Amino acid sequence: MTPILEVSGVNKFFGGVHAVVDMDFVLEKGMLAGLIGPNGAGKTTVFNLITGIYPLETGHITFKGEDISSLKSYEVIGRGIARTFQNLRLFQRSSALENVMTACQQHHHYSFLEAVTHLGRWKKTETDIRLRSMELLDRVGLADRADQAAGTLPYGYQRRLEIARALALEPELLLLDEPAAGMNPEEVLELNELIKEIHSDFKLTILVIEHHMELVMEICPHVICMNFGAKIAEGNPETIQNHPEVLRAYLGEEVPEA
Amino acid sequence: MFGGYTEGIIILLCINSIAAMGVSLLTGFTGIFTLGHAGYMALGAYVSSLLIMKAGMPWLAGIFLGGTGAMLVAWLVGIPTLKLMGDYYAIASIGLGEAIRLILENWQSVTRGARGVPGIPPYTTLPVALAFFLVMAFAMFCLINSRYGRAFKACRDDYLAASLLGFNTAKLRVLSLAISGFYCGVAGALLAGFLSFIQPIMFDMIKSTELTSVVVFGGLGSMSGTLIGTGIITLVTELFRPISQYRMLIYGAVIVIIMIFRPEGIMGQKELGKTFFRDLTRRLKPADKRHGGGVKR
Amino acid sequence: METVLQQVINGLSLGSVYALIAVGYSLVYSILLFSNFAHGGFLVIGGYICYFILRSIGGGIWIASLAALMGAGFCAVLTEKLAYKPIRERTNVTLYLLIASMGMSIVIENIFVIIAGGRFRALPPVIPTQPVSLFGIATTSMFDILSLVTAVVFLSGLQIFLTRTKWGLAIRAAAYDLRVAGLMGVNVNRLISIVFFTAGLLAAVGGIFLSVRYTLYPQLGLITIKAFIAAVIGGLGSLPGAVVGSLILGLAEMLTAGFISSQMRDLVVFLLLVITLLIRPTGLFGKDVKEKV
Repeated sequence: MTPILEVSGVNKFFGGVHAVVDMDFVLEKGMLAGLIGPNGAGKTTVFNLITGIYPLETGHITFKGEDISSLKSYEVIGRGIARTFQNLRLFQRSSALENVMTACQQHHHYSFLEAVTHLGRWKKTETDIRLRSMELLDRVGLADRADQAAGTLPYGYQRRLEIARALALEPELLLLDEPAAGMNPEEVLELNELIKEIHSDFKLTILVIEHHMELVMEICPHVICMNFGAKIAEGNPETIQNHPEVLRAYLGEEVPEA
Repeated sequence: MFGGYTEGIIILLCINSIAAMGVSLLTGFTGIFTLGHAGYMALGAYVSSLLIMKAGMPWLAGIFLGGTGAMLVAWLVGIPTLKLMGDYYAIASIGLGEAIRLILENWQSVTRGARGVPGIPPYTTLPVALAFFLVMAFAMFCLINSRYGRAFKACRDDYLAASLLGFNTAKLRVLSLAISGFYCGVAGALLAGFLSFIQPIMFDMIKSTELTSVVVFGGLGSMSGTLIGTGIITLVTELFRPISQYRMLIYGAVIVIIMIFRPEGIMGQKELGKTFFRDLTRRLKPADKRHGGGVKR
Repeated sequence: METVLQQVINGLSLGSVYALIAVGYSLVYSILLFSNFAHGGFLVIGGYICYFILRSIGGGIWIASLAALMGAGFCAVLTEKLAYKPIRERTNVTLYLLIASMGMSIVIENIFVIIAGGRFRALPPVIPTQPVSLFGIATTSMFDILSLVTAVVFLSGLQIFLTRTKWGLAIRAAAYDLRVAGLMGVNVNRLISIVFFTAGLLAAVGGIFLSVRYTLYPQLGLITIKAFIAAVIGGLGSLPGAVVGSLILGLAEMLTAGFISSQMRDLVVFLLLVITLLIRPTGLFGKDVKEKV
């Protein structure tokens, strides 16, 4: 196995709050890993640090052997990482298709001159982008909603659309931030299937943040658990479930939802 | 073909539309609110007329260099200032626009200062204005219907999401400003050739406000709306010329009323085109809508 | 040395007038989060009311300025009720408010163009402007000292209002989050009216002093651009920032006019704005808003 993402000795402060404490973990290529922890444990902050939204205070983040700690967001994305957001960040007024096309175009090029004249590669490339985006929408079950404004889609569909948009970036590592938030149990089951499918079909490495422990336990063979900004446990679901620190974090803070 | 008066209005329409398209790209499509774009018009006007009159350059080259000059300044100014967001950039853009005007006013030896530049050759004839308008409108519509259009809109709708879809948002914002600077510069150069006389005061903050409100009036994020808006405002301004006292009062009141009753402008984000007419016919026949837009589960 | 001191006093005096305008503008920004471009109109309204009462009715400066302050305050409230309230009740897009305020600024300016004409009018000599010697080391004018003192009085009054009264407390709470303040039982519409009244009143004080300094004309409101710039330099929505920014701006303008050239003063102001924002993109005292991801 080759490591694809290495996080080592990462710290982050917000004013006086130590939001991420000496974070260390490694993701192997092809892993489907879960990042769990109670509310406010610092999970999303870890995603933000990986994707260059915040600068690191200390430590390094390495992607495919390259140090990406000081790269800007768009550079990180360009290296082959994509993510979704906890509180959806779709382009609300654009159609579902246009949302995906906006991401998809990163891998289909034509020049500025071709753009202002609609000559040359414009036509073929735009057709390619459209077809590829439709394929992805179809993949997440939204093909019949392609022309609908993203903001008017039902909540569960918006989450799927975000995944399609992230996939359009053709990433090697996909970071999913609470993809099941706000979904009903039935939708969650469908989502789990979808995540498992795209993991194998697109040969992705996936790191998924989940708030509900049971869900992660079901789909992720590898789980990292955080509390108060620090990693408290790592391993397969059984190890995590029986880890005393994890139990304390969950039962001490809040009762996990059934 | 036309009388002199009608011809003048058509030329003015072309010039105003070119400038408005530039502002529309920046404000409507990239989400950067500007209140200083008259400055870029001024640059275009001065660069082209001075090059034509003092350096004896052919007028076509003058217009292009006027546009390019404005574009270069926009680009240079944009790199540091477009880090500012929202109202901070809006206020800074007033400063930038006014600074350009003040420099032109104070650089007496070259620009003759506040007295203005008279006797510019009248190179902006009707065919010239129309040709420039058609070519630049075509390029603008192509641009917004391309990868660049989607990229600008992504920056407008969600700056952070855009950068996490791999867009270099800072660079895109500067690019948008540079293009809009070019459009306004060319419009300024054409205006100089139309009026044969330019003066810094023509390009003050009121002119900038006018450019931006035309774009808002047409609908932020709709290029055809911008053209319709420019058409209406230019014609209405001409219509009200006999009661010019009340012209600006009505103009201000109209802006307020639009913001209250139809803030998305005439066109919203829609463009005139196949889909627009399809939506329109659909809306006129409510029964169809129920069929077409039905929710499938 | 003498002239430096003199220019510093003049600069502080001009800056304090900017501060009166900038503070009101910033106060509105802190509550509704938009740049109220009609703010300059309030200043013009104050100036004209004062002028008309002095000229046609023949009232004293005290009556005239009281009427000007109240009148501008009410016009500010009216502007809010007519133009901004319908918008803010329908949407939370602050851009629409900003554009409506541009419209209102054009409306107010041209109402005066129509009823008073575009000419420049001088206020009767109600504010003494004779030169005053300051302990023999510098000369300045009575007017500069008076405007400085008046500004200090009004700004202290505002400070007391904001810290010692119930509504002042509510305004400060609303500056953190208007919606939450509303949920806590504050009457949001009345609060906004009070804020606009205060802003209009302060603008009118500035307007009277500016019409003495530069004469009165409908476009006098454009001078608020300077106050906006001062507020932005200080950090939008921060009242101490608005005051500090205004004083810096007043000083920069007067020192440039005194030692470089009078034509350069506006250019220096705009340069100062751009440079400040490049170093601190949210101004000197601005809140550094990080978006939650």
